[in-house]
Amino acid sequence: MKRLQENRIEQLAKYLQGSKLDPELYSEILDHLACEAEERLWDGSSFEQAYEKILDSADLQTLHHLSVDHKTLLAMEKSLDDIVFENRNKQYGAYTLRKSYGQTMQKSVLLGVTLFLLMVLLPNLYATLVPDKKPGDIGFEVEFENVDIRPDKAPLPEPIKEEEAKPVEKTVKSVSLTVVPDNQVDVEYNPPVVEELEAAQPGGITQDGLVDVNIITAPAPAVTAPNGVAAEVAPEKEKEYLLVDQRPEFMGGNAAMGSFLQKHLRYPSQAVQAGVEGRVFLEFTVGNDGKIENVKTIKGIGFGCDEEAERVVKLMPDWKPGKQAGTPVRVRFTLPIVFKMN
Amino acid sequence: MENSATSNEYVRGTLKTIVLNLLAEHDRMYGYEITQEVKDRTGGAIALTFGALYPVLHKLEQEGLLVTESVEVDGRLRKYYSLTQPGNEAARNKTNDLERFLDAVRLLLAPRGLATE
Repeated sequence: MKRLQENRIEQLAKYLQGSKLDPELYSEILDHLACEAEERLWDGSSFEQAYEKILDSADLQTLHHLSVDHKTLLAMEKSLDDIVFENRNKQYGAYTLRKSYGQTMQKSVLLGVTLFLLMVLLPNLYATLVPDKKPGDIGFEVEFENVDIRPDKAPLPEPIKEEEAKPVEKTVKSVSLTVVPDNQVDVEYNPPVVEELEAAQPGGITQDGLVDVNIITAPAPAVTAPNGVAAEVAPEKEKEYLLVDQRPEFMGGNAAMGSFLQKHLRYPSQAVQAGVEGRVFLEFTVGNDGKIENVKTIKGIGFGCDEEAERVVKLMPDWKPGKQAGTPVRVRFTLPIVFKMN
Repeated sequence: MENSATSNEYVRGTLKTIVLNLLAEHDRMYGYEITQEVKDRTGGAIALTFGALYPVLHKLEQEGLLVTESVEVDGRLRKYYSLTQPGNEAARNKTNDLERFLDAVRLLLAPRGLATE
C-alpha cells in the first residue's frame, strides 16, 4: 500500500482550503480524498493522474453543494440559539448560558417548589414524627406510701395583722384662748382645770372616750447618784435654725470679733508666697449655750488659709446664743473671713 | 453515468439505513471505508459520493446515533464513526423498515397476477 507523501497531502489541503469548504467537513474530506488518491496510486497510476481524477470528482461545484447540503441538513436540528450565535464567538459565555437556560430554570423551579412545600408541610411533618400522646400509650406511674412529710423547722412568720383602729381617747375641749371684748366672752366655756386633764387629752371638743388607765409612760430617767455625782443627761439634739429673731453674736460685738481675729489669725506662709488673697467662708453652729461646734469651710481659697480660719474660729470664746421667741436656740451661722495682704 | 444518477436517487432515501447497518456490522469505520465497503459489496452498483455521505454521517452524529473519535493517520486526521446504544436500536428498526418497504415495492413492481396471489 502506497502512502501519500506529505507534500501531496498539502497540495490536496491547499485545494480544499481554496474551495471554501465548511471547516467541519474539511479534515474528513481531506482524509477521504487522500484515501482515494492512495487507492489510485495502488492501482498503478501516477499521483498527477490520481490528482486529476480527484479534482474531477471533487470539483468546486460539488464541494460547494456538499457544504450547502451539510449545512441545511444539520440546520433542521439547530435551535434558535445556534442560529443567533451563527458565526459569532461562542466562547464568551452567553451562548452556554442561553443553552443551559432551560435546565437552570428547571432546576431552580424544582428547588423552589421543594423548599416551599417543605416550609408549608413542616408543621405536619413534625406532627407525624413526634406523635401526640394517646390513651393507649405506655407510661409509668409512681406511687408513694407512708410519705414522711416534715414541716419546716422555722415556721413562716405570721402575716402582719392590720393595726386595729385606736380607741378614741377621752378628750376635754381645750382651745387656744382668744382675746375678745367683754360682751363677747363665752361664759359657758371655761378652760379645763388640771384635774380634768389628768385623765384626758386636750382636744377640740369634750367627749367621753375610753379612759385608758393602762397607758404606760416611759419612766423618767432614774436619778441615782450613788457617788454624789449628778447623772448627766445627754441633752437632746435640738433643731438647728438658720434664721432666728435674734442672731447669735460674738461676745462684745463685731468690733471685738475683729480685734480677736486680728490678734490670732496668722497669714499662712504658703499663701504669702503664692500671693493668695480672698475670703474663706466658714459655717458653724452656735449652740444654745453659745458654744461653737461643727466648724466647716464651705468655700475656701486654699494655701492653708482655710485651715487657719477654722483653727481661729475654734479658738473663739463662747458666743451670745441666738434666740427664737426669747429662748436660746442652736443657730447655723456663716462667717466670711477676709485674707488680704498689705 | 446515467445509471449512477438514478441509483443516487434511491440511495438518498436509504443512505441512513445503509450507513447504520454497515456500522452495526463493524466496530468502527471512517468515511472512505464506508464508500469502499458499499462499492465492494454491491459490485459498484451503488457508489456513495462523499458529497452525500458526510452530511448524513454528521446528521446521525448530531442525532446521537453515532459517536466519533479522531485518530491521526499518516499526517492527517481520520474520523472513525461507531454506533451508540440508541444507534444500535435505530439500525435495527431502520433495517426492518427498509426490508418491509422493499418487499412492498417488490409487490408493486411485480406483474399484477403475481401480486394478488
